[in-house]
This record gives sequence, structure tokens and C-alpha cells, in this order.
Amino acid sequence: MIELVDLTKKFKQMYAVKNLNMFIERGEIVGLLGPNGAGKSTAISMLSSLVEPTGGDVRFDNKSILKNPAAFRKIVGMVPQNIALYTDLTAEENLLFFGRIYRLGGKELNRKVDEVLEQIGLTDRRKDVVKNFSGGMQRRLNIGVAMLHDPEMLIMDEPTVGIDPQSRNYILETVKRLNEERGMTVLYTSHYMEEVEFLCDRIYIMDKGNLIASGTKDEIKQILSSEKTILIRADRINGKFVEALEQHSLINRVTIGEKEVTILVPREANVFSEIIKLAESTGLELLSVDNKTPTLEDVFLHLTGRALRD
Amino acid sequence: MIGILLAKLKSFIRNPWTFLIFTGMSMFFAFIFGGANVDKAYVPIHAVNDEIKDSFIGQQIEEQEGFQFSWMTEDELKEKIETGNAEIGVILQENDFNIIVGVDSFNTSLVQQIILGIYHEKKEREQILLAAGQDVSDKGNILSEMDQVMERPIFNLESASFRGEGAFVYDNSLHRIFGFSLFFVIYTIAYNVLPILTEKRDGIWDRMILSPLKKSEMYVANLLYSFITGYFQVLVIFSMFRYVIGVDFHGRFLETLLLLIPYVFSVVALTILISAIVKNSQQFNAVLPLLAVSMAMIGGAYWPIEIVESKLLLMLAKINPLTYGMEVLQGAAVYGYPLEELLFPISILILMGVVMTGLGIHLMERRHI
Ligand SMILES: Nc1ncnc2c1ncn2[C@@H]1O[C@H](COP(=O)(O)OP(=O)(O)OP(=O)(O)O)[C@@H](O)[C@H]1O
Ligand SMILES: [Mg+2]
Repeated sequence: MIELVDLTKKFKQMYAVKNLNMFIERGEIVGLLGPNGAGKSTAISMLSSLVEPTGGDVRFDNKSILKNPAAFRKIVGMVPQNIALYTDLTAEENLLFFGRIYRLGGKELNRKVDEVLEQIGLTDRRKDVVKNFSGGMQRRLNIGVAMLHDPEMLIMDEPTVGIDPQSRNYILETVKRLNEERGMTVLYTSHYMEEVEFLCDRIYIMDKGNLIASGTKDEIKQILSSEKTILIRADRINGKFVEALEQHSLINRVTIGEKEVTILVPREANVFSEIIKLAESTGLELLSVDNKTPTLEDVFLHLTGRALRD
Repeated sequence: MIGILLAKLKSFIRNPWTFLIFTGMSMFFAFIFGGANVDKAYVPIHAVNDEIKDSFIGQQIEEQEGFQFSWMTEDELKEKIETGNAEIGVILQENDFNIIVGVDSFNTSLVQQIILGIYHEKKEREQILLAAGQDVSDKGNILSEMDQVMERPIFNLESASFRGEGAFVYDNSLHRIFGFSLFFVIYTIAYNVLPILTEKRDGIWDRMILSPLKKSEMYVANLLYSFITGYFQVLVIFSMFRYVIGVDFHGRFLETLLLLIPYVFSVVALTILISAIVKNSQQFNAVLPLLAVSMAMIGGAYWPIEIVESKLLLMLAKINPLTYGMEVLQGAAVYGYPLEELLFPISILILMGVVMTGLGIHLMERRHI
């Protein structure tokens, strides 16, 4: 349905997105994952014809949308990263307004507004001013507005940042339902691995403008098949211990948190006793040492040496 | 497009505070600085001897309506002028008078005309007395009879000048109303243009771009909305002064309102241009007061531009919409110029508006697509 070909965006001397190749088929939920500044929003803006690429092409059903975006714009619904609503207006007034700019009117518009309010669970708050909504409710309305014109495809830019777990689950469930019931195609951007794991069939991972991995969930986890992750927790991590870990020949990568250290080691290696020894010799009080089942987070760590969220 | 306007209007009604504050401030300042003696300029006056003050000349001067003449000693008078408390002062002698000019304004020649007129009249009366003969005892009678006759003339000759009754020109209260309105309306308009920046940042514009809405509709709706709120503000202020406080617009009230249109348009254009140049709303908020205040100072919103002398400032005044706004309004209501004489500043305002709108939109489009 949609295909990105060597898509590139340069701001001054900096590549926000570099040679990005991606495709999305009808009815799929595709995840686009990456830390802050990875280039996700820029990629999405180019894909939805809002920002002109420096290079490359965006193709919709094999036709470039750069010169002629109208056909694609008609079928796409965009959920921006920010709350793109009139906050002085009520939920209902916002929906009516954005419905009207899609040339909806009369009974049809009212029916659509009712339906969307139902879907995002804001029917009983329809007359409230958006300013007074909680973050989660604003996010839900932000999504609702994008669904008024029955888009075939929904592009969502971090639709769950900064909200409570309850609203977040609600949103995830809604997206899943839309996909299952209506066959809606979704491009879901996030820097939360769990969300993408829950929702998506296929995943693209970006970092610093580059695509660093892509494939189905299982395919991506395969990247880690040769390694495993071990989580070490302690009261206070000391520098000597970390240094010792880093110098150890079996340990590939060390990532330090406040009260924990994550290391990557070869799958076959047995390093538990080694870790305990190192802890003793450097005076570290261990709380636990755990073998972790690999997550996408670990994949990211493996590929970039950095945690997805800092 | 109507949809955008309605949405903005609704937002406005829910949140009219910016508008009310700037409208209120504008009225407050115009009222305070306009002074209580709204129509009269203050002129200190001194007579070399008290007889003059009590004579025909003194009486006539006190009956003058255009100016507020105030008797004092010569020293007091000079001090008033030196300290800038009065623009001009008058010293009366038996058959002659001096005008001391501190700030040369339109008032100077007017005061001169008025007083000259009084002295002429006095001369005339003396001539009449002379012609009436040497019968000195009847002197008073002759004159009072003459005054009575003058009040019931055989031929009723009326004349009127376009400046209306009671000569005056430097109209303090109108100047303040115009000045402060033109100044504060910059803020009102700017704060109604500002949402373009936040709407762009938050993605509301992206939503509109993806919709079947046309770019031109988006811009026209936004411009129109800023224009309407700005114009509504000056309308409220002027009507308030005209109908509630009773300021005299010298019969040019409607013209004044119409002539505001090009000014408001040019300010909308100016703020569009600024919002296209700045990077975010913080910068916009930082630049705006600087610009508005300097525009007001250079453009003569606080004081008549005639007292500005610096060549540089006068040059800057020439590219300042507020200068032309003041020129048009003053020209219409204070000096009573016919429309043709105001065409020049009006065209400049419209030209500025067109150029700045075009440039502003061009810059915005280039930057954000
Ligand atoms: N208009 C712009 N001008 C200059 N640089 C930009 C612009 N937009 C984005 N960038 C830069 O491009 C890079 C990618 O930004 P982008 O917003 O696409 O990242 P992101 O993956 O969406 O991050 P986040 O998770 O924080 O939303 C960043 O380094 C950003 O500073
Ligand atoms: Mg982003």
C-alpha cells in the first residue's frame, strides 16, 4: 500500500532521516520504534506529505505522492505527537470542527461524532472544554479527531506519551479493535517496546535517522539468538565493579542504571559465579542476578549500546 | 473557512480576556492622559496691568471656548513654559501683545488669531466712540446699545468654518484616544495572530493541510479573524469615547471608523510577518512589546510627531504604519481634511499591508511547507 524508497531528510548538515526504506501493507499494524530524536516524526511527516523530503520517494499504490498527495491524503488519518486540538472548545465542538473541514455535515456529521465519541469513550464528557480534560482524555480525543472521515490508514505519532496506564491500555485496545474489526491499517510510532510488542505485526527500529532493524517480532528477536541479557541489581553500583565487568572477556556490553547493571553475554556462557566473585572482590552488595528473556528493548541495546529510553 | 472563523470566534467568547484587558487599558490611558479638560489646551496669560484684565480685552479672552486661558504673573508664565507645562503663553499690553512660544504647534497661530481679533474689535469700538462725538457722559450707553443692536441684526449673516465653533486645533483628547487605540490594538491583533504559531507547532495546521481545506482558506480565515477582532476593539473604544464620554469627533466619527480599516489591515500584516520571522511563540512575545512601544513612540502615538527632531527617528517613522495611522485619523477628525488629501497615507498603509502579508506568508510557507 505504502512504500518509502530511500527517503531522506536533511536539516542543514544533519540527517534527520537517512535512506529509509519501509513498506506497509493493507490491514497491517506496523510499529516504528526509536528513541528521542531518532527521526520518527520526520519520517512520518514525509510519509503523510506534510514535509518535503530531501531525497527519495513515497509511493502509494505505486504512485508517488510527492507531486500529487490528494489521493493519499483522503484515506489517511493523522494523530500528531502533540495535542492538536482547540483547547478552549469542547470535545464535541472539536469533532464538529474537524469533521466540517472534511466536508462532512448535517446528520452524517452528527452520526460520525457520536460514533467517534463512543469509540474513544468520551460520550459523557462531550460537552466539557478540552482544557479541563486529563492528559489521557486529551490523547483519546486527539486520536478520535483523526478517525472522523473513516480513514483507511491511521498514522499515530507517539499517541500514548505522558498518560496514565489506564488510558494507555484503552488506546492500545482501541487501536487493536479498529484493526481487527475494520481492517484499518496502522503505523504506530513509539518509544515504548511493550506497546509495539503488543500491537504490531512487523516492526521497524530507527536510531539517529537510520533504520537499524526491521522484520516481524520473532525475526527481530532472532538477532539476539546468540546472546542473552543478565540483569544485576545492587544497593549501590560502584565504579570498580563496572570497570571489572567491562574488562571481562565474556561480557559484550555493559549498561549502567541507578541501581542496576545490564550485561550482554554469549548464550552458552555461564557467568553467574563470575559476577558474584567480581562483586565480592569490589565490595559490592548484590541484591539479585537475573537471566532476562530477550525483549525488543534488549535488541535495541544490542544494536546501539544504548537504552531506548534514557 | 467559515468553520475556522466560527471555531475561533467560539474560542474568543470563551476566553475574551486578552481582548478585554487591552481594550480597557487603551481606554484607561486615553482617558487619564487625555485630561479632564478634554477639549481645551491650557494657555497661561499675563496682563501688564490689571486694567487690561478688567477691560473689554480681558472679558473677551475669558469668554473664549477653544482654550483655557489662565491669569498669572509674568514670572509664573515664563516658568510654565520653561518647564514644559504649557506650550505657549500670552502677555497683554494696552494696544499690543506678545506670544511666548515654548513648543511651536498649530495652537500658536490660532491663539495669535484669537487675540489679534480681540484687539481689532477693541480698536473698532474705540473708533465708534470717537465717531459718536465728544459726548463723553453717554459713552457707556452707546456701546451697550450697539451690543444690543448687534444681537438683533437686520441682516442675519451666518458663517461657519469646517473646524466648527470655537477655534482649536491641537486636540489633546482625540490625539490620546487615537494614539492609545492604535498602540494597544497592535497587541490585540498580535495575540490573535499568535495562535497560528501554536497551531502550527501542535499540528492543527497539519490536520487542516491533510483535509480538503485549501491553504488559501486557512490564511484568509486567520487574517480575517485577526482583522475583525482588532477592528472590533477600536470600534468599541471609539464608540465608548464618542457616545459615553462624549468626546467631540468634529462630525467625522464615521469617517474615522472607516479610515481605521487600512491601519488595522497593515498591523495584521505586520504581525503575520513577525510570526513568520520568529522561531517560536516565546520569541514572538519578546519582540512584540519592543516593536509596539517603539512604533508608538516614533509614530507619534504618545506625543505629536511634530516634536520629534532626530533625522533617524523621522526616517523610521516613515516606515511605521502607526505614523500613517495617526496621520489619517488626525487628518480626518482634527484637521478636517477631505478624503482626497488622505489618499497618500491610506495607500501607503494598504501597500505596506499587501507587501508584508505576502512576504509573511511566503516565509511561513518556505519554512514549514
Ligand atoms: N524543523 C526542523 N529543523 C531542524 N531540525 C529538526 C527539525 N525537525 C526535526 N529536527 C531534528 O531531526 C531529528 C529527528 O527529529 P524527530 O522529531 O523526527 O525525532 P523523533 O524520533 O520523532 O523524536 P521524539 O521521540 O522526540 O519525537 C532531531 O535531531 C531533531 O532535532
Ligand atoms: Mg517525534
